[in-house]
Amino acid sequence: MAVSDIAASDIVETVPSALLILDRNLNITSANRAFYQIFRTSLEETEGCHIYDLGNRQWDIPALRTLLESVIPHRASVEGFEVEHNFPTIGRRTMLVNARKIFRPGDQDGSILLAIEDVSEERAARAESKRNWQLTQSIVDTIRDPLVVLEDDMTIVTASKAFLTIFGITEAETHGRRVAELGQHQWDVPALRHLMEKVLPENKPIESFEIEDTFPGLGRRVFNLNARKITQPGNHAHRMLLVFEDITDRKQRERDALSLTNEISHRIKNNLQVIVGLIAYEARSTPLPCVQGYKAMQARIGAIAQLYDLISQSSRGPTVAVDAYLREIAKTMSTSLLGNSSGITIEVKAEALDIDPDRAVPFGLLVNELATNAIKHAFPNGKGRVVLCVEQVGDQIELTVVDDGVGMKNKDKDKDKDPAKLLEKRGADYVAIFVRQLGGTIVPPEPQEAGTTVRILLPLLLVPVGAPDRAAA
Amino acid sequence: MAVILIVEDDVFIRGIAEMMIQDWGHETLLASDVDEGLSLLRSPQHIDALFTDIYLKTAVLGGCDLARQAIELRPELRVLYTTGNFITEKMKALFVDGKHFLAKPYTQLQLQDSVVGMLAA
Repeated sequence: MAVSDIAASDIVETVPSALLILDRNLNITSANRAFYQIFRTSLEETEGCHIYDLGNRQWDIPALRTLLESVIPHRASVEGFEVEHNFPTIGRRTMLVNARKIFRPGDQDGSILLAIEDVSEERAARAESKRNWQLTQSIVDTIRDPLVVLEDDMTIVTASKAFLTIFGITEAETHGRRVAELGQHQWDVPALRHLMEKVLPENKPIESFEIEDTFPGLGRRVFNLNARKITQPGNHAHRMLLVFEDITDRKQRERDALSLTNEISHRIKNNLQVIVGLIAYEARSTPLPCVQGYKAMQARIGAIAQLYDLISQSSRGPTVAVDAYLREIAKTMSTSLLGNSSGITIEVKAEALDIDPDRAVPFGLLVNELATNAIKHAFPNGKGRVVLCVEQVGDQIELTVVDDGVGMKNKDKDKDKDPAKLLEKRGADYVAIFVRQLGGTIVPPEPQEAGTTVRILLPLLLVPVGAPDRAAA
Repeated sequence: MAVILIVEDDVFIRGIAEMMIQDWGHETLLASDVDEGLSLLRSPQHIDALFTDIYLKTAVLGGCDLARQAIELRPELRVLYTTGNFITEKMKALFVDGKHFLAKPYTQLQLQDSVVGMLAA
């Protein structure tokens, strides 16, 4: 019997699987085109040849022998018999063999149809995928922070050993389940769910989502959750990596530090309150012209007090946020020097700059002094505006205090005409000291029709990268 | 003129606050902690407003606790808090409705504005 005798001979010739027909003695009676192509042989070399003798006995494979001599005689068909062999002509291959006995009328002995599919590439890809998975899993398992990988339907594909160990659950309990369903539903937080739903479709990572709860076997814990989309090259499927960072100890240290800061702040503020109270007491029996001086002194103390709050609140690390600092100084001056009914306003226009806490006190006092001068001298009619500006100009900080008051030209006309000296006369001794302390310079004022502008250039007071944590010191 | 209960554990600060408030014509009552404050609030003494420090002796949030109990005893009482500490969200959550707040160190003008604002509310 030949392959061409089979009714669907055209199909046989076009199927990608290699087909062989063997007689009862395992001699090849026919092969299809795919067989010749895959195994680089010809009709002449093949037909009539014993299967084991074919191609320099490269088909004399123990596994194939088992199939043909032990399995086939007892069964009508065999499917998915895997044969892995190093063929001299085509190298190492994995073949999936289907075998079927065929009986034609008048053919008592029957034949054997072998369909051989080369699955080498598929098996190699599967092995590679398995190796990659094992590598990924081993990396995942070495990370100390617990983590899980989620499918796009939010179910868990894999959980790290740290995750299983820390939360006391088994891999089987996590697989295919949603994070929100785990444990006592500690992760079932609407805000977290909302964020997680955006990670894959919008490629929007979750950064530092904090959850504090009581966990069985762990007690009260604070976890920081971070999530991001992960993709594998050549794979369209997206997954989410969700990492749980236990920040309980860090949070406790922060709380302890905050508690200490509050305690220190409480004592400092009370001591400053005593000083402000003493000044207030003295001011009661002081002639009216001197009271303003006492008030200015209280404002200076207020400026220093603000600094402690800003350092303790600062979210930018061991530096003081200039913009926030200026706003607090302006607020303090407004309430301590002007009061609610004043017609003078203080505004702030400041860039988001940071300064070294060591320099923040003279900086704050400098601003306080300039603004106090403006309030005291610029508005004889009690109405006007003072603007405190800070911006970075090159490698310097420019501090500008502008008022729309009477200006210097209209004051002390019979005295010194030099604006710089006039500025000194406006109680600028402190200004000069603070500017010197900060290593800055006062820009000589230009004549102006109305108002006064004081410009001071200061070296960039940013804390250099790698500088010691001075605020914490 | 109003009757203002000043609760402050620092004797000097309490004395200066008393002096300032009396200068503006108000009557003052003094207490140094939560218990003393409550004792006056539970008495038949007329009191219009409570001016309390938050950190009272060892009670970190003693002033908040006192004001909450004070409002339960006297719902019409006006409250002005003061502290040298940074105001946390936890503290804010404990503040009674319609409260006023004055940060330490405060000047006489700041205290006067706060007292006037509190009594006018």
